[in-house]
Amino acid sequence: MGIITVNQSDCLFWLGRYIERVYTTLRMYNREYDRLIDETQDSYGAYCQRMGIPNIYSSREDFVKRYPFDASNPDSIRSTLDRAYDNAILLRGELGTQCLAYVEMTIYDLKRAETAPAPLIPLRDLVDHILAFWGIVDDVIDSEQVRSILKTGKRIERIDMYARLRYDAGEVAHEIRRLSGRIPKTGLNYDQGTIDCLMALGKESPLNYGEILQKVDEIGANLIR
Amino acid sequence: MGFPAELELLKHTDNVNQLLARYGVKFSIYKNNQFKEQLFPFDAIPRIIEADEFAYLERGLKQRARALNEFLNDIYGAKAIVKDKVIPEDFIFMSKGYMAECDGVVPPKGIYNHISGIDLVKGKDGKWYILEDNLRVPSGASYPLIAREICRICCPETFRDIRIDDNRNYAKMLKKTMDYVSCGGLSVVLTPGRFNSAYFEHSYLAEKTGAKLVSGTDLVVEDNQVYYKNYNGRKERVGAIYRRLSDEYLDPMNFYKDSLIGVPHLYDAFRAGNVAILNAVGNGVADDKGIYYFVPRMIHYYLEEEPILQNAPTYLPFYKEDMDYCQAHFDELVWKDVSEAGGYGVVFASKMTEEQKKDFKAQLAKDPRRFIAQNVIDFQDLDIIDKDGSRVPRKADLRAFVLLADEPMVWHSGLTRFTTKPDSFIVNSSQGGGFKDTWVLSR
Repeated sequence: MGIITVNQSDCLFWLGRYIERVYTTLRMYNREYDRLIDETQDSYGAYCQRMGIPNIYSSREDFVKRYPFDASNPDSIRSTLDRAYDNAILLRGELGTQCLAYVEMTIYDLKRAETAPAPLIPLRDLVDHILAFWGIVDDVIDSEQVRSILKTGKRIERIDMYARLRYDAGEVAHEIRRLSGRIPKTGLNYDQGTIDCLMALGKESPLNYGEILQKVDEIGANLIR
Repeated sequence: MGFPAELELLKHTDNVNQLLARYGVKFSIYKNNQFKEQLFPFDAIPRIIEADEFAYLERGLKQRARALNEFLNDIYGAKAIVKDKVIPEDFIFMSKGYMAECDGVVPPKGIYNHISGIDLVKGKDGKWYILEDNLRVPSGASYPLIAREICRICCPETFRDIRIDDNRNYAKMLKKTMDYVSCGGLSVVLTPGRFNSAYFEHSYLAEKTGAKLVSGTDLVVEDNQVYYKNYNGRKERVGAIYRRLSDEYLDPMNFYKDSLIGVPHLYDAFRAGNVAILNAVGNGVADDKGIYYFVPRMIHYYLEEEPILQNAPTYLPFYKEDMDYCQAHFDELVWKDVSEAGGYGVVFASKMTEEQKKDFKAQLAKDPRRFIAQNVIDFQDLDIIDKDGSRVPRKADLRAFVLLADEPMVWHSGLTRFTTKPDSFIVNSSQGGGFKDTWVLSR
């Protein structure tokens, strides 16, 4: 593809972020759902706290239902996916219909899961669609710039989520290295000093998750202006 | 109808619909002030047109598109058809679609209606009738285009057993049309945005033609040249714009000043001959429902040919003899407000209450130019599969697409729209209609 506009680079970046957020929260939700089967004491409150979202749920049943499927809840997986779609739909020219279809199918299967007696089964299909989405991005999108903006969004979101959820230091450091290698390929303006600072934070022991979170969000906010 | 292989396709209806959902084949509507995206209901039973019959349609459609293009060149140029009193000037200069700003401006290669969407119906007498010409931003080609692609995936044997003209060349035809008139540089599809009812089509056709999908803010005009600008200010010249927004919103400096979706000074670049706009600005004067009446006369006047395709019998209350006829046969007619589109402003007199008739007749007497009347054509039903799975007959029309480049090209397919309601003639998607593929048999 040729040159891309400010709007398109913005949509690519946020599509990468939202798709990644859906992916990571789906994996987290799967674990949480499984935990809630056994627990006598509700742990979803702690989950909400870790995720930095308000605990608006009245019971575990309410959480299990509304957190993934409620379109009117801005922190639900459904809302995140809707926002991914809002960006994706503007990018048919950059992504192609085949690639966009995986976002469509993710929404389709999330709606299907809402009424399924065992929702984790169709929710697994969502994870498959997202993995296929990234696969097709690598396979069919010729422009390294387009791929890199998408993946920069993905990496920033992943580091953000991992920092919030206090992931293992090795995994966080690995994602920081991948981000620092990816950003220069986007062709967007960025501040190398902030990236170097994030790299240094990734090497600290123990990790300062709060600072990492702050720094990665700063990089994201300044990348698309 | 009744091809065994066609019936085979029906077994795969669920698969077809799943794939249509997968590829996001949607249209958008606003209902109760809310934006809703919904799948465009597809019926797998195709409209089938024999090769000879389509050859006849093709000749007539090309003739009509050529005559309409001549008319637009004339109206914004010499105005000979008015001077020769073939069409009363009232119907031109009072038309909402006439744009005085276009007077004396000749588009690249003299082409106005690059893409014409011409609506036809087939009467029970076996004759085809033209219902209307859409020369501004006719939509709908993308739906049978992607539906065919999907049907071929779901039921290859149908397409192996029945020889059907391949309709997947539409993007190539459209690209050829854009390239032919391009003034040099990129081709773009200009969309009002994702909340437009036909956004799927805009993005799909951009992808298939290799054009850039752009919104107004992505383009800038400098020194009467149009540029596509990227995130860091680099600009690339634009030579052809397939615009999918209406004339008045195209350029806030020349038309509707509050438009936020247009490109300031775009029309200046067009006027200077530096960019092609498809379809050209000002085409609304030729697809006005009042002008429709005169298209057979245009064919005589410009081409010196007999019209191949017929209009539906139409009356202009503007003429006294037509008004007399309309008053005498009021209840038998369908009335159309010339300023409305999309199936709105169409009323069947037989369905009006006495009070409504009284009001309508008062409006008619006050402003006869505003309405046309047509005999209700008893057009053929096509079978559809309804929600219960039953095969039922429904009214359907055909939107055929004619593209003008170095020569007129008729797409060997078309959008067949049908009404889902048993007693309705209104097939528009905005009013609950669905669509079918249109098969043109190869032999």
